[in-house]
Amino acid sequence: MRTRVLGGAGLLIGGVAWLQAAQAPPPATAERALVDQYCVGCHNDRRKTGGLSLEGTGLDNIPAHADTWEKVIRKLRSGAMPPEGMPRPAPPASAALVASLEATLDAAYAKAPNPGRTETFHRLNRTEYRNAIHDLLDLDVDVTSLLPADDVSYGFDNIAGVLGVSPVLLDRYTTAAQKISRMAVGSPAIPATADTFRVASDLPQDDHVEGLPFGTRGGLLVPYTFPLDAQYAFRVKIARDYTDSLAPFYEEHQVEVSIDGVRAQLFTVTPVAGRGARGRGDVDAGFEVRVGVTAGPHQVGVAFLKKTSALTEGQRLAPLRPAIGAGGDTRYQPYLGSVTISGPFDATGSGDTPSRRRIFICKPDQDSGLRTQGSGQGAAGPRAEPCARQILSTLARRAYRRPVTDADLQLLLDFYREGAGVGSERSGARPEEPRKRSEPSGVEGPPRVNVGGGGFQSGIELALRRLLISPAFLLRVEHDAANIAPTTAYRISDIELASRLSFFLWSTIPDDQLIDLAARGRLKDPAVLAQQVRRMLADRRSQALVSNFAGQWLYLRNLPAFRPDEELFPDFDDGLRQAFRQETELFFDSILHENRPALELLSANYTFVNERLARHYGIPNVYGSQFRRVALADNGRGGLLGQGSILAVTSYPTRTSPVVRGKWVLENLLGMPPPQPPPNVPALQENSEHTAALSVRERLEQHRSNPGCASCHKIMDPLGFALENFDAVGRWRDRGEDGAPIDASGALIDGTKLDGPATLRQALLRRPDDFVRTVTEKLLIYALGRGVEYYDEPAIRSIARDAGGAKSSLSGLIMGIVRSAPFQMRRT
Amino acid sequence: MIIRKLALPRRTILRGIGAAMALPFLDAMVPAFSTTVARAAGTPTRLGFFYIPNGAIMDSWTPAAVGTHFEFSPILQPLAPFKSQLLVLTGLSQKAADSIGDGNGDHSRATPAWLSAVHPKRTEGADVQGGVTADQLAARELGRSTQLASLELGMDANYLVGNCENGYSCVYMNTISWRTPTQPIPMENNPRIVFERMFGDGGSADARRSELRKNRSLLDSVTEEMARLQRTLGNGDRAKVNEYVEAVRDIERRIEQSETQSTRTALPDTLDRPVGIPETFEQHLALMYDLQVLAYQADITRVISFVLGRELSQRTYPLIGIADPHHGLTHHAGDKAKIEKVVKINTYHAQLFGHFLEKMRATPDGDGSLLDHSMILYGGGISDGNGHTHHNLPLLLAGGGGGQIKGGRHLKYENDTPMANLLVSMLDKAGVATERFGDSTGRLEHLSDI
Repeated sequence: MRTRVLGGAGLLIGGVAWLQAAQAPPPATAERALVDQYCVGCHNDRRKTGGLSLEGTGLDNIPAHADTWEKVIRKLRSGAMPPEGMPRPAPPASAALVASLEATLDAAYAKAPNPGRTETFHRLNRTEYRNAIHDLLDLDVDVTSLLPADDVSYGFDNIAGVLGVSPVLLDRYTTAAQKISRMAVGSPAIPATADTFRVASDLPQDDHVEGLPFGTRGGLLVPYTFPLDAQYAFRVKIARDYTDSLAPFYEEHQVEVSIDGVRAQLFTVTPVAGRGARGRGDVDAGFEVRVGVTAGPHQVGVAFLKKTSALTEGQRLAPLRPAIGAGGDTRYQPYLGSVTISGPFDATGSGDTPSRRRIFICKPDQDSGLRTQGSGQGAAGPRAEPCARQILSTLARRAYRRPVTDADLQLLLDFYREGAGVGSERSGARPEEPRKRSEPSGVEGPPRVNVGGGGFQSGIELALRRLLISPAFLLRVEHDAANIAPTTAYRISDIELASRLSFFLWSTIPDDQLIDLAARGRLKDPAVLAQQVRRMLADRRSQALVSNFAGQWLYLRNLPAFRPDEELFPDFDDGLRQAFRQETELFFDSILHENRPALELLSANYTFVNERLARHYGIPNVYGSQFRRVALADNGRGGLLGQGSILAVTSYPTRTSPVVRGKWVLENLLGMPPPQPPPNVPALQENSEHTAALSVRERLEQHRSNPGCASCHKIMDPLGFALENFDAVGRWRDRGEDGAPIDASGALIDGTKLDGPATLRQALLRRPDDFVRTVTEKLLIYALGRGVEYYDEPAIRSIARDAGGAKSSLSGLIMGIVRSAPFQMRRT
Repeated sequence: MIIRKLALPRRTILRGIGAAMALPFLDAMVPAFSTTVARAAGTPTRLGFFYIPNGAIMDSWTPAAVGTHFEFSPILQPLAPFKSQLLVLTGLSQKAADSIGDGNGDHSRATPAWLSAVHPKRTEGADVQGGVTADQLAARELGRSTQLASLELGMDANYLVGNCENGYSCVYMNTISWRTPTQPIPMENNPRIVFERMFGDGGSADARRSELRKNRSLLDSVTEEMARLQRTLGNGDRAKVNEYVEAVRDIERRIEQSETQSTRTALPDTLDRPVGIPETFEQHLALMYDLQVLAYQADITRVISFVLGRELSQRTYPLIGIADPHHGLTHHAGDKAKIEKVVKINTYHAQLFGHFLEKMRATPDGDGSLLDHSMILYGGGISDGNGHTHHNLPLLLAGGGGGQIKGGRHLKYENDTPMANLLVSMLDKAGVATERFGDSTGRLEHLSDI
């Protein structure tokens, strides 16, 4: 079934980027002299400083020692070698050596690329699993309550090599498959469960929450998928602190429970006796209502009716967080703590849900419609099995991301028959010989639930459950091409390429169009491929590049765990935390989808804010909770380095950390991760009173007097100090935690002077290649699900070069990755 | 529904800041189990391995005197009420966590080496390699007669990025349990998932049994599918398939086990189950401890590994006034104020561990309490967080081990006695015959005698 075209890679992939880079290398003598003069003094066979000798490493066959020379290139490019204090070659000479080494290595790569070897098995990670379920079944699941988190390597959680399968995980997959399949088909056997949604204790509940009825304040909006047409109970709890006390309030307040904006119930919260004392009363006893809800997704809202007596925004000093526990809250109002949705009770049917419409693309028989539990019957009709076949082959093609084989389908049909109660269990009985069913067909009258199991719907449910634990669904498998020698590069199949594309750009399974093109062998065509990449980037699913790729690359994912000290930052709250994330996501999204240069991530003079964030940044005239693009007059605020999200996740809860910020810049913007600190850092001066009086800067300077610390800290610290004008929650400041004026001065390792965020930004923009290279490398790791190695460097260079070097757009780099050898090929 | 009748009035009892909370469902289930759990032979020994991150301030951890007449140190003071069932073990080392030419990465090595005594391979790639851990060795034996062979639990969310050491995959710090040298096991931190693993997600006993049977037939066919897949792969990839198939078989065995066991356990009302991860560390920890007591008590498992905090943990503890992140503080470089704060965190952890021991002691089991029939190892793979050393580790052994552990003593061993010796002895006393383990040189002496 798998046919491959084999041969020299150059013949194989015509017109692809890496073929164009080749040029003849210059004579090696000048380079040899330079290396001997400046490098071999330390990096010789005897001393092997840093584990490296360049003495015998010939310049006559550079590709044979690519691992060594790629290291040399990185060190020279970053200006880290030769080290400070040692004789250095003139910059043009150093640049010439780099250019010559790169040209030679790139030419060799063009002739015979080493695309590396991705793992044979690449398990879907948790995010991909959730997205796949959504695309397959039109069903949103809370994957965090189904599966454990995945381990991270190289900064991402989609690295095939560490996505293992353990019994625990398989156990979770088995349970998840059971829950998802019965939810998707609307199985009457779904037991009643309870889901509780808590409101973050530091979420402000003063204003209207987007999506809730007008005239309400605070509360929360829960998008919830109701499994059946049934009764559901809604239990509302008022917030309490850890001593079980309520916030003080003097008047009655009313809480409304609504479903899709329609009021289901109104509860009255009565103040505890004792005039507003912080009480422990059962103010929310009996706040439970039972409502009939139709199956499918609905918006459940719980919010307070806004009281006109509440203070308006302008009258309060600072938007202090709701002071549950901290005291001093002068709003005198209760807050919502949580809502628990339980059910289904007294189910009347499976209903008409998006999932059922997605799955049941045909009917088992004429009479039983799908609007009720009708598909719970009809397994006996002559049309039942053909219909099951149609449903399951459609699902399997999407889930397995390839054309379905007869064996695939037979296996699923076996389970269909078992679940439907037709034919003998897993023996491949003929569909024309149905067994007795538990329900007569064509029942009319009030909807009834087929509790006994069996029937068409149960058959589909069991087959779906089997499909969801299939290795073909859970694992992306890349087979070695047949009959090729070990360590030979070959082009991956179109089907494999379709999955690589969709998991890279969408973090989910390919859609029908991709699979169709791949099945017809059209996807490898460069024009078709480019057209597909453009289509995919325009699709809303490419939002995954923002939330999943940028979320990890830029550490946005850590924001929920960022808990600044309440006393030092009383105005930080969950509203701001959410705004931080949204700002950077919208910003990254605009660079990606407006085909802007990647470098604008650093240099942009615009950002996205809502009223809350604008106030935080000191940007005037922005009102309302919706985000909008604003031009930035402030030179320091532009680009990622001025965004609250980045500044917060690189801070401690009590203060900024120049070291953490410096490390973040080095690692994620410049691509030069520093090593972990060495053990046994010597104690600072014993005089602790003296030490206590030192500023962070003075302490770090003291720290750097130790050469073991200095080698890294002198690179990291100045980067972080340049950002000292932003406090731990990203506000501009002129004075530090100690009250002294901010000193944001310093120098980069190459001597560039820094003083404040704007100068750091300028300094980074003067090294555009480093940034573009780093973005490319991060994207490539994420795209391949493996770490990048020295042999990938030529590909990384050519991707950036072909996308326009310093002017490369983010989308251009993505296109370049898709066209590159590591993405289209694999080594046996 | 049986539960409801036995349940105590629903309430939340608070015993001061950070106190263990009596959770409604636990209250409800305790009486339910004490009458329903019947065992074939004797009272089994339970094993627990509890990990604390970033080391401890050893001056404030180690009691001054040795033997029986020692005063509790500041950090261990909260555990004084359990003295008679507690051993303080000093002088043990885990040399496998040393750098041995691998440079920086002590936190990444401390975690996997703690229970394996094997030096983990420095890598972020597919060649991740550690050693089988003691809890998993125990689970192979003790897990034969329980529904779950072992439970692997933690407190941290492992989705965070940028909190691992360069050159080491995050997996090294994310778990202390390795089923094989290449198969780390994820630590679960969501109480709801833990509860479901223990009791399923509801429905009648009949319905659950029928679900289990379905799972077995589904998994059978997955094994067949893997076998077909295997035929299309090269030799190098077959090992991976085997790992998958092994995992499937393991679950099938579990299913057989639970088919008989699940009928015994009645489920609490839907509303009384844990719903997710509580907002504060204290509530979360109390819930995780409760679930562990329940798992031991209902004999759902006899082996638990639990990470109270992952290495490099930057958790702050606002309830005890610690606003600085934990790991940052442990690199105190001699700063007295920072040292004091680390002592406070270490003491707090000990205090909360005390709440767990209290529950274990208060839960009847066989002829005594759960604590009498347990061996709970509490400690970490780093001694002084500032120096990143893996020598003279902070270690406690709590519980009577079914009469095999004589508590009430501070045992000081010769410096650099392998911690593996302790693991050998623990396994041995739990009935898992073990001669050697990692770099062990024998059994650890004096655990049972004076």
